[in-house]
Amino acid sequence: MIALLLAVGLVAAGVTIVTRRVFDQLNGQHTDAMVQQFQREFERRGQDVAHRIKAIAEEEATTRMAVDLSRPNADVSVYVHDARGVSSSHQLNFLDFVGNDGSIISSEEYPARFGYKLSWVTQPDDWAARGAFLMKVETDQGPALGLMAVSTVRVGDRDLYVVGGERLGKEFLSSLVLPADMRALLYLNLASEFQEPNLIDINGPAPDADRFQPLVEKIEADPVEQTEKISWGFDPSNAEVFKALPQVGRQKELLGVLFVGSSQRTVVSLERRIRWLALGVAAVGVLLGLLLSWWGAARVTRPVQKLVAAAREVSHGNWGSRVEVHGHDEIAQLSKSFNQMTGQLVEQREKLVQVERVAAWRELARRLAHELKNPLFPLQTTVENLQRAREQNSPQFDEVFRESTGIMLGEIDNLKAIVSRFSDFAKMPQPELAPVNLNDIARNVVKLFEAQFGAVGRPPITPELHLQENLPIIQADATLLHRAIENLILNAMDAMPAGGVLMLRTQTIEHGVSLEVSDTGSGLTPEESERIFTPYYTSKQHGSGLGLAIVQAIVADHGGRISVESESGVGTSFHLDLPSSPPHKPQVFPMVFEKKEVEA
Amino acid sequence: MLFAAIPARTSRPPRYGGTLRVELGAIVASLDPATASDGTSQASAAKTQIDALIYANQNLDGTSTGTPGTGPFALSSWLPGKSATLKANDKFPQGRPFVDAIEITLGRAFRDRLLDLELNKTDLTEIPPQDARHAAERGVRLSQSPPDELLALVFSENRAISATETHPRQALSLSIDRAAIVTFLLQKTGEPTGALLPQWSSGTSFLFSTSADLPRAKELLAQIAPAPKFVLGYDSADPLEQSVAERIAVNAKEAGLMVTAVGAPPSPSTTKTDSTPDARLMRVPLRASQPAVALNRLLRDLNSYAPGIATSAALSESASPQIIYNREREILDAFRIVPLVWIPQVYGLSPRVRNWTPPGPGQTWPLADVWLDSPETNTTSPHIKDPE
Repeated sequence: MIALLLAVGLVAAGVTIVTRRVFDQLNGQHTDAMVQQFQREFERRGQDVAHRIKAIAEEEATTRMAVDLSRPNADVSVYVHDARGVSSSHQLNFLDFVGNDGSIISSEEYPARFGYKLSWVTQPDDWAARGAFLMKVETDQGPALGLMAVSTVRVGDRDLYVVGGERLGKEFLSSLVLPADMRALLYLNLASEFQEPNLIDINGPAPDADRFQPLVEKIEADPVEQTEKISWGFDPSNAEVFKALPQVGRQKELLGVLFVGSSQRTVVSLERRIRWLALGVAAVGVLLGLLLSWWGAARVTRPVQKLVAAAREVSHGNWGSRVEVHGHDEIAQLSKSFNQMTGQLVEQREKLVQVERVAAWRELARRLAHELKNPLFPLQTTVENLQRAREQNSPQFDEVFRESTGIMLGEIDNLKAIVSRFSDFAKMPQPELAPVNLNDIARNVVKLFEAQFGAVGRPPITPELHLQENLPIIQADATLLHRAIENLILNAMDAMPAGGVLMLRTQTIEHGVSLEVSDTGSGLTPEESERIFTPYYTSKQHGSGLGLAIVQAIVADHGGRISVESESGVGTSFHLDLPSSPPHKPQVFPMVFEKKEVEA
Repeated sequence: MLFAAIPARTSRPPRYGGTLRVELGAIVASLDPATASDGTSQASAAKTQIDALIYANQNLDGTSTGTPGTGPFALSSWLPGKSATLKANDKFPQGRPFVDAIEITLGRAFRDRLLDLELNKTDLTEIPPQDARHAAERGVRLSQSPPDELLALVFSENRAISATETHPRQALSLSIDRAAIVTFLLQKTGEPTGALLPQWSSGTSFLFSTSADLPRAKELLAQIAPAPKFVLGYDSADPLEQSVAERIAVNAKEAGLMVTAVGAPPSPSTTKTDSTPDARLMRVPLRASQPAVALNRLLRDLNSYAPGIATSAALSESASPQIIYNREREILDAFRIVPLVWIPQVYGLSPRVRNWTPPGPGQTWPLADVWLDSPETNTTSPHIKDPE
C-alpha cells in the first residue's frame, strides 16, 4: 500500500515538476516576448517621437522663430504660447522651445515655467544621433516620465532647441499586446522614495502597489533584471511571477521599472488537476490493493486459520479433526501433515485405549480374581469340611454344620461387599458446585480421623495443618472433595504403619487453590508412582485399588489436576490443584496419560 | 503703455443715427440695479456698464440707481443672459445720444468677438489685456485705458500664518518675477507694480520695488523651518489669473516655497480645508483718479475679501503724496497684499466708431458720445433676434 502510494506520489510529483518546468519555460518565453515587444514599441515610439520633433524643428514657423530669436534683443515673449498649439498638432504630450542659453521660451507641459533654464539641453550632445531617450519631465502636474527627443535649429551661431516627447504612462502600456494571464506595470521612479501612485497599469495607479516596493528598492540598489513571485492572498493561483526590467535615462539613472507579470493561475490549476488525478489514482490503487491484499491474505491465511482451528480442536481432545487440503503449496503440505498427524494420533489413541482397556480388564480380572479368591477359598474349604463331616457321620456334624454355614455366610458377605465397592465406583456422581472453603473441608476431615491418629495400640500419627488464611473460596462439590481428602488421609495412614507425620497444606495458586497431603511413610517406587492412579491397582494387601482412582476422578471432575511426589523411605506427597471455577464441562483427564503429572 | 487712447479719427461733425453693435464676453442675468450680479466680476462689471446707459445716477462703487429712462438709453428689449437692445433716449438731459440704438450681445467668446470685429460684424468689444498684442497683430483697431485695474495677491489670513509672522509672505512676494508676468503672460499690456496706486495716479509707485529678489527670499525662508505651504486661489473663469497663479507657484518653488494654485470662488471660505486658499489673486479696479480717494476705495474693496487689511482711518481727499505713500508703505509692509500688475482696459473698435474715449477710473463707457461714421449696410447683428 505504501509502495503504491509512494509510486503514485512520485509520479504526480514528477508530472507536476515537469509541468511546472514547461510552464516556467513557456512563461519565460512569453515574458521575453513581452519584453521584446516593449523594447520594439519603445524603439518604434522613440523613432516616431524623434521624427516628429525633427519635423517641428524643420517647420517654417520654427525656423522663423529661430531667425527672430537670433536677433539681438529679440522679444521671446511673443512665442510663450506657441508650444501648446504645436504640440497639439503633433500629438505630443511634452514640447518645449528652448533658447540658445537654455531658457525655456515656451512649454506645453509647464506653461508657467517660461524663462527658466533647461541647462542639460545646451550641454554638448549629438541630439540628432541620440534619438529618443527616457527622461524625467517636470510638468505643472508634477514630474512625469517621458520618451523624449531633441532637435536643434541653428541660425548663425545660435541654436533653438525643440525638446518634446510622449508621456510614458498607462496609454503606453495599453498599446502593448499582452497574452492571456499576463500584464504589464510601470513604476515611474520620479521621487527619491517609493511612491505607490507611481506604479501604474493600463487603468492608472495599480492596486496593492506597496507589494512592489521591495522589488523596486532592490532594482534601485542594483539596476539589473530581477524576477520575483508575488502572492495575492492565500490562494496560490492568485500569485504572479514578475520580471522587473530597469528603465534608465541618458545618464544611466534609473527612471522607471517595467514589470511583466505572468499569472500562476493556469499552472496552479493544472497542478491541482494533476494532484487530484494522482489522489484519484491513489485512491483507486489503494482500494484495488486492499481488495487484492484481502484476497491474497485470505488465500494464505484461511488454510492456516483452518489449521489453527483444527489444532485447537485437537488440543480440546477432538483428535479426529481434519483439514481440507487444496493445491500443492506449503500450506497444503502442512495441512496434509496435520491430517496425517491427527490420523496417527487417533490411531495410536485407539491402540492405547485398546491396550489400556485390555490391561484394565486384565487388572480388573486379576483384582476380581484376587478379591473373589479370598472368600471363595474359605468357602471351598468349609464346604469340603462339611462334606467330610457328613460322610464320616461325625457326632459334631451339627456343630460343624453350624460353624461352616456361619463361615460361608461371612464369606458371602465379603463377596457382597466386594461387589458393592465395584458398584460404587461405577456410580461416581457428577459434582454439584457451590462456594466452598477448602480449609474448612480439610479441618473437618482431619477432625474425623483424630481418634484413629491416637488410637491405643497403634503408633501415633501426628497431623500438621498448614492452612493459608484467607484462602479464596472456590466453586466445588464439598462432599466429593471431603471424600477425596478422606481417601488421601486413609492412604497416608496405610503408608505409615509405624506412625509418623501427616501434613496438610493449602495455598493460593494462579486461578485457584492447591492442597498438599504428605506423609512420612515408606514411599513409593517409581513404578508404583506411575500406576498409582490406575483403578484397581494397589500395593496393599487389603486395598481395593479404587481409592486414589476415585480421588483423581473427583479432581478431574472439578477441572483440577493431581500429581504425586514420592521418595522411598522419606514419604509421599499428593498435590491437588483446583480451579476457582471449574469449566462447565468437566475436563476429561485421561488418567493413564498423566505420566508427567504423576512422575512430578 | 503700448497703445494710446484713440481719439476721434476725423474732425468731421458727428452724425446721428445707426445702431452700435456691442459684444461682451460676460453673461448678465439681470439688469435690475437693485439686484446684485450673481456671476463673475466680469459679469458684474458688464452689468454696471449696461445699467449706466439706462440709469442716470451712479453710486460710489459704480453701480447705478434711479428709474429706467433717466439714462441716455432706454431698454428696448432684453433676453436675460443673451442680449439687450437699447434705444436712444430723446429726452436725456445731457442731450440725445448720437446712435439710435445699441445692440448688446452677451456671452460671446473672445475668439468669436475678435472674428466679428475683423469681419465688421460688431463695433465695440472688450479685449482681454493678455490678448491685446495678438489682436493688434491681426490688425484690429484697439483702444486702451490707462492702467486702472490692480492684479494683486491678497492673503485672507484665515490660516497658516500669524499676523506677526510676515517672513513667508515676504519671501513669496520677493520670489515673484512681476516683469515676466507682464512680458509673457500679459504680453506687455500692463505695468509691474509694487504699489497700491498706479504711477500715473500717485507718482510714487516707482518707490516700491517690483523686482524679484530670490536670494533674499531664500534667506528669509531659511529662518523658518519648515517652510509653510500656501494654497493660492484664483478665479477659474479668468485665464489671466490662472496663468499668473501658476507662474507664482513656479517662482515660489524656485525660492523653496510650495505654492499650490487652485481655482476657487471669489469669496473666502469660512471652512478650513487643505484646499482652502491662504491667499488669492484679485483684480481690483481703480475707482477714482484722485490718489487718496482711489486708495480709500481700493482698500475698502480689499477689506471685503481680507478684513483688517487696512484698519487705519480713511485718508482725506486732500492728503499729501507723502501721507499717501506712508499709508501705502504701512499697508504693504504687512505683506497681506502683494501688488503685482496694473492692467489697462482694452477695447476693440470697428473702423466706423467715432468719438470713443476709453473710460477713466470709476467711469463708464461713454457710448452716448459715440457716433458712427457711415450708414451701415447691415446694421443688425446676426446674433440678436428682434424681440418683435
